[in-house]
Amino acid sequence: MLENFSFRTIVEYLPLFGQGLVTTVWLSLLSFAGALAVGILLSAMNLQRGWLFRVPAKAYIDAVRATPLLAQLYFLYFGLPRLGIILPELVVGILALSLNSGAYVAEIIRAGILSIPRGQVEAGVASGMTYVQRMRLVILPQAFKVTIPPLLGQAIVLVKDSALLSLIAVAELTRAGQLLASDRFMPAEGFITIAAFYLLLYYGLKGLAALSGRWLGQAGART
Amino acid sequence: MTNSSSSTGMIEFRGVNKWFGTLNVLRDITLSVEPREVVVVCGPSGSGKSTLIRCINGLETIRDGDLVVDGQRLGDPATNMARLRTEIGFVFQSFNLYPHKTALENVTLAPIHVRKIPRAEAEKAGRELLAKVGLADKVNAYPAQLSGGQQQRVAIARCLGMRPKIMLFDEPTSALDPEMISEVLDVMVAVAEEGMTMMVVTHEMGFARKVAQRVVFMDAGAIVESGTPDEFFSHPKTDRSRAFLSKILRH
Repeated sequence: MLENFSFRTIVEYLPLFGQGLVTTVWLSLLSFAGALAVGILLSAMNLQRGWLFRVPAKAYIDAVRATPLLAQLYFLYFGLPRLGIILPELVVGILALSLNSGAYVAEIIRAGILSIPRGQVEAGVASGMTYVQRMRLVILPQAFKVTIPPLLGQAIVLVKDSALLSLIAVAELTRAGQLLASDRFMPAEGFITIAAFYLLLYYGLKGLAALSGRWLGQAGART
Repeated sequence: MTNSSSSTGMIEFRGVNKWFGTLNVLRDITLSVEPREVVVVCGPSGSGKSTLIRCINGLETIRDGDLVVDGQRLGDPATNMARLRTEIGFVFQSFNLYPHKTALENVTLAPIHVRKIPRAEAEKAGRELLAKVGLADKVNAYPAQLSGGQQQRVAIARCLGMRPKIMLFDEPTSALDPEMISEVLDVMVAVAEEGMTMMVVTHEMGFARKVAQRVVFMDAGAIVESGTPDEFFSHPKTDRSRAFLSKILRH
């Protein structure tokens, strides 16, 4: 089997893989920024005592977690035009990833905030701080440190999920593999190459997680 | 304000009741603490003493009766709780220092953001307070770098930084190793001697005898006995207080 494996073709297609990799990286970055925005908003809604914000936030998070990302992607891709909203595939893809990942980010942030001991809240209350002051000065700076490692884990998931955008013809990394597979009938070459690139991205993010862990570890000496 | 004109008490409980579900944790509490008075509250575990002082700054709410603090009735719509809390220092059993802030930042955080004192002024006052509690050399230390006794002294300095009228202590030495208890009690004695109005939940009889004008003994949510430290420790009047004292004295 290996004697048929064409490294030459892979090298030939390398510029295409390179473009796909770059696209995957920046669309993942944008999507993760979007996911953070969605997640912060949802977790803030979810932490309210009144049901008015909490119930819709919970319903949204459940809906996202209960349905496949592919279904969500198609829902936006085919659904939005029906509503008269025509967007480029790339924008639909980033939107889908942001909205999907945002639900998971929301739960990570909520868990981070709830992990701060009750005594911290009480210390803030007892010194006359308002809710906003307690959040800003006491709770969020501590919750931030706790959430960094799981957020990087979610970022890794997002990068892999971005492969689905190939199905709506976004020219990202997986799409490059598909092109090689269909143009030259070389699926092994195409998909092994993209797998290698995803592995590279994974180790990049994992390194970042380790780095942040060490940084947090140092900061942890202060906690 | 309603109900407060009749008395000069800094803290006034009048017929206060509180329930946790069906459990009557505070039963018909009537108690007045005068300005500059130091009152020690003791009693067996679960007797409601922590709940009693947590009601004073609204960490717990009361079901019925009146609780008037510094002339303001709690639960009254006219009472600004956040504002009132700046007049009440609260020292927790578990310190509850902010772990991401240095000792000095712990002391200056609320003065700067709540009292709106200029940073330079707050820091100057903070350094003085930390020096006063014997931690001049720990200004830039984080709580994790401090012993329990040091953390509790920072916590006391943090309260004093707000220039409160009242200080409440919820078992301030219970979480400490024995050799660290006296360093915290010494600071509390110094605060008391400066004329602070204080309510202290503690079993430290030495402290009570030294600075308290009154000891209040609670059991099952009610105030069972109240008297000077000397009366209470030497001649307890009720069976329950005698039983309690025999237990804490045995050790």
